Amino acid sequence: MSLRHILAVTRKEFHHIFRDRSTLVLVLLTPTLLLLLMAYALTVDIKHVPIAVLDYDRSPTSTTFVQQITAGEDLDIYTYATSMSEVESLLMRGKIKAALIISPGFGRDLLNLKGIPIQVIIDGTEPESGNFAVDHIARRAEEFVNQALASQMQAMGLQLESLQPLDLRVRTWYNPDLKPRNDLIPGLISMVLGLPALSVALTLAHEREHGTLEQLMATPIGRAELLLGKMIPYIIVGLINVIAIPALAGAWFHVPFNGNFLLFFGLSAIFLFAILSMGIIVGVFMRTQAAALALSFLVVFFPGFFLTGIFFPLASMPEEMRMEALMLPGTHYAVITRGVYLPGVGLDVLWPYAVMLIFLGVVFTGVAALFFRKKLG
Amino acid sequence: MGEENPIIQTRGLTRDFKKNRAVDSLDLSIRRGELFGLVGPDGAGKTTTLRLLAGLLNVNAGEAIVAGFDLKTQAEAIKPHVGYMAQQFSLYAELSVLENLQFFAEVYDVRPADLAARTERLLSFAGLTEFKDRRAAHLSGGMQKKLALACTLVHQPEILLLDEPTTGVDPISRREFWDILTGLYLDGTTILVSTPYMDEADRCSWVGLMYAGRMVICDTPQRIRDRLESEVIELFPRDWQAVQGFAASLPGVREVQTYGEAIHLLVDSGKKRLPEIESALKQHKIGYRSARIAPARMEEAFISLIRGMEG
Repeated sequence: MSLRHILAVTRKEFHHIFRDRSTLVLVLLTPTLLLLLMAYALTVDIKHVPIAVLDYDRSPTSTTFVQQITAGEDLDIYTYATSMSEVESLLMRGKIKAALIISPGFGRDLLNLKGIPIQVIIDGTEPESGNFAVDHIARRAEEFVNQALASQMQAMGLQLESLQPLDLRVRTWYNPDLKPRNDLIPGLISMVLGLPALSVALTLAHEREHGTLEQLMATPIGRAELLLGKMIPYIIVGLINVIAIPALAGAWFHVPFNGNFLLFFGLSAIFLFAILSMGIIVGVFMRTQAAALALSFLVVFFPGFFLTGIFFPLASMPEEMRMEALMLPGTHYAVITRGVYLPGVGLDVLWPYAVMLIFLGVVFTGVAALFFRKKLG
Repeated sequence: MGEENPIIQTRGLTRDFKKNRAVDSLDLSIRRGELFGLVGPDGAGKTTTLRLLAGLLNVNAGEAIVAGFDLKTQAEAIKPHVGYMAQQFSLYAELSVLENLQFFAEVYDVRPADLAARTERLLSFAGLTEFKDRRAAHLSGGMQKKLALACTLVHQPEILLLDEPTTGVDPISRREFWDILTGLYLDGTTILVSTPYMDEADRCSWVGLMYAGRMVICDTPQRIRDRLESEVIELFPRDWQAVQGFAASLPGVREVQTYGEAIHLLVDSGKKRLPEIESALKQHKIGYRSARIAPARMEEAFISLIRGMEG
């Protein structure tokens, strides 16, 4: 193994990355763009859900109730309906996603502690918005009842502390704001940082297509020297993204980085080695860039979506699929990213994943070098 | 060329592709210091032969020794001794002229101390010094070929394998390229070059004609021309299509070949047949600019040989 040969290939590859605009965009900008795209596509904040209100009670209490429920940006009152058939028609035409129906005697029943006689109808064809409306109304209704009871007790001369109405609170660890992005983004980061694997898969096929591989094969360069020399520049460029992407996530999405960044950086370098060696295997077997791109999407990118546990927990996978997932560098890196991101986990917890990444990288590079022949056809 | 043991020797070298046998039991022997021209029609197996000798293809049968190493078992050991230039442009388009040279110098383990002087010499030798910072993609076709040649020379190989290096190059660049090759030949480098141009074959010290994967003739250009037992009469008629129609049936005419406006008649004796042919032209009322006995060239010889084989 000659270091000089490896560095010669590395330098050449750097020139290629920085002088070929499409490669530069693919390696440097696509991870950022993909992160933005997926973060927005996968975590839509639901706001301004249009609802109709059908108030049969028309008491001061019910009016206050409706005002309280629709305060803020979450629900918008599309109209005050006058009949059930009107509500139905509005739902059918998609004008509203939910309807709040207040029974006659609402104010009286509430004060008599007989429960809250309201009904919520949702459009089942778009359950996201409908369920959101139900949750929202239920939460606000509970608050309303508590307040009403408190003021009534005060009127009856009772101390507020002595009769605390039911109060159930869920406390969330690690993601106290319960922002779905805080949970999702570290997973997405682990996925987009693997993108240079596509480029490295393309570079071998590119050389094959342009005949430069034929020229290289006629030289004494070693197989592993060539493959390693090709991977190093993509690892270095990938590390630029390891710095840029968490910075972006922090600045744009306000996802806090709670762990040790140096540890994350080091483990990311190992991950890049592992995922790029997967890309190299694709490049070794595919003759054309089109084929290399298609296959790397199939084995590097799509499994990143479905198998690495970012969206679907590993524990819920069938045994054989879990085995496959464990062979993907992304699976281990997703654990590392999530770990180092949110609770500030250290190497004492993450070392098995790091070891696994090194193992996969060495095995993949070995397989690639073994099957890469300095022969045409 | 006093040395008798060849630097390239193949015995029964065979290579099959899916459907056809590209190289068929090839016996080839090239002595050190030879400028060997490999000619033959498209698909004759020239490129496959060169790729085999460069160690780029697996051998299906037969044996080959290149620079003292067995092609089948020591292909990697051959590579430092050989400079191979593929038919298509195969340098890095986005690298500059100098960067391409430096890259191949490093891959071929040129000593760092020698690198600067070596690349400078090759640049001036290929006439590329003033273009050294230009990207290879922006060079003309002729300059690309010269750069490719410079890259194959960067480790001072004993053997050069050049696959149609002047195809698609303008005539002036072609001549310059061959002047460089002749210089290398005079310096003692063994060169195996394939070419579709017969005038280039004429400049070689030894020529091999391949046909359907086999070596048909392997000899000096002079002796190959001598094999053509016919003499050549060159005609420039006003209506060459009419001449083509009847010329072959004239007595003593063995073959008719056309070269643009010229028609070459291969005859048993030039002196005897030239007056006969001129009178035949008058008889057919076909005017002509000139009719003369011309020296036989490689081209007539090869076309005649290949026609003979195609039956």
